[in-house]
Amino acid sequence: MVNQLLLCSQSCFQTLGQTLNFETPLAALEVGKHFYWHLGGLEVHGQVLIVSWIVIGVLVAASAIATQNVQRIPAGFQNFMEYALEYIQGIAKDQIGEKEYRNWVPLVGSLFLFVFVSNWLGALVPWKLIKLPEGELAAPTSDINTTVALALIVSVAYFTAGLSRRGLGYFSKYVQASPALLPLWVLEDFTKPLSLSFRLFGNILADELVVGVLVLLVPLIVPLPVMILGLFTSAIQALIFSTLAAAYIGEAMEGHGEEEHEDH
Amino acid sequence: MTLWTFVLAVETVVEAGAEAAESSGGLFNFDATLPIMAAQFLLLVAILNAIFFKPLTKAIDDRSDYVRGNIAEAKERLGKAQSLAQQYEQELSATRRQVKDRLLLAQVDANKIRNQRIAEAMAESQAQVVTAKAEIAQQKQVASDSLNTQTAALSRQILEKLLGDLVHS
Repeated sequence: MVNQLLLCSQSCFQTLGQTLNFETPLAALEVGKHFYWHLGGLEVHGQVLIVSWIVIGVLVAASAIATQNVQRIPAGFQNFMEYALEYIQGIAKDQIGEKEYRNWVPLVGSLFLFVFVSNWLGALVPWKLIKLPEGELAAPTSDINTTVALALIVSVAYFTAGLSRRGLGYFSKYVQASPALLPLWVLEDFTKPLSLSFRLFGNILADELVVGVLVLLVPLIVPLPVMILGLFTSAIQALIFSTLAAAYIGEAMEGHGEEEHEDH
Repeated sequence: MTLWTFVLAVETVVEAGAEAAESSGGLFNFDATLPIMAAQFLLLVAILNAIFFKPLTKAIDDRSDYVRGNIAEAKERLGKAQSLAQQYEQELSATRRQVKDRLLLAQVDANKIRNQRIAEAMAESQAQVVTAKAEIAQQKQVASDSLNTQTAALSRQILEKLLGDLVHS
């Protein structure tokens, strides 16, 4: 304990606004510090990749266990994963529609599972116990690179969906209502990934910061409600991210075309 | 001891010194993590599609097909059973009607036989009555005949007693 105190106190001279020159005995908040790996001339955030590999490993292992011996009458873990799958199918079906949703279940489902498991592992696993030379292990979704990557994939996905469904006619929606609205439509294509990525990133990072600050102030019991709230937020964020992704895809495929209105 | 619980130490975004020179750091630090993350996420989608979504979706679809098939089969069987039950019921009622008819017929027959027997018996008894009456009449005749003769003999005796020898004279 004393060792840890000393270690922390040494590394924590940089205090908030550089005005509070106290030493922190139990924990430190590290914001915006990264464990850099250098690949060729590129820099990557090692801590993000490590945890994302763990997340991917968890997902792949869970899937493998659930499907290694598929039974007609599901039992145990297969049951649980089928429940998860049906939940995901529900998200996709609600947003994309009965007719088209099946093709998009893997993408939407992977988004949900990846974000959800990332958030929960970030909130539940005591990563602080693993010391890195710099930065700290945390949910991959608390790094802007991850969320922007996911959001860009969603953007590509909904463009692909719209173009494959409606061809170049997809772009007709930009000027359909009025050519004057063209800039707004174009703007929306940028705000969609922006809002997706920043919402997720901001929520998860903010949750980790709040928990971190509370742990600094009162290490026992008091942070627990906030941690539970954090778990709730994490789950909600995963749901929101995948639901919005599915909604964008569904919207792109439905378009605002006349032929769709006849169906209604 | 109480002091440190109120200490808040947040390491600032940009570290001073050599670290800052080496890597800028920061919350919005975009670098090669982004494409790597995108690539490995797409890989994850592919893997999960192969080992999670496809097999389990297939399992769920197969199961619902199986259940639907079973329900259809059961419905068919139920229909068959119901039609069979109806058929049996019809047969049963037909048989019942038949039985009733036969019963009626048998009753009619029995009545006929009874009436016949009764008639025969009455005829026989009438005949017996008639013969008995005839016998009675005959015996009456015989009796009255013998009575007549006896009456004659008696009256003769009475006469003889009263009149005595006058009779013979």
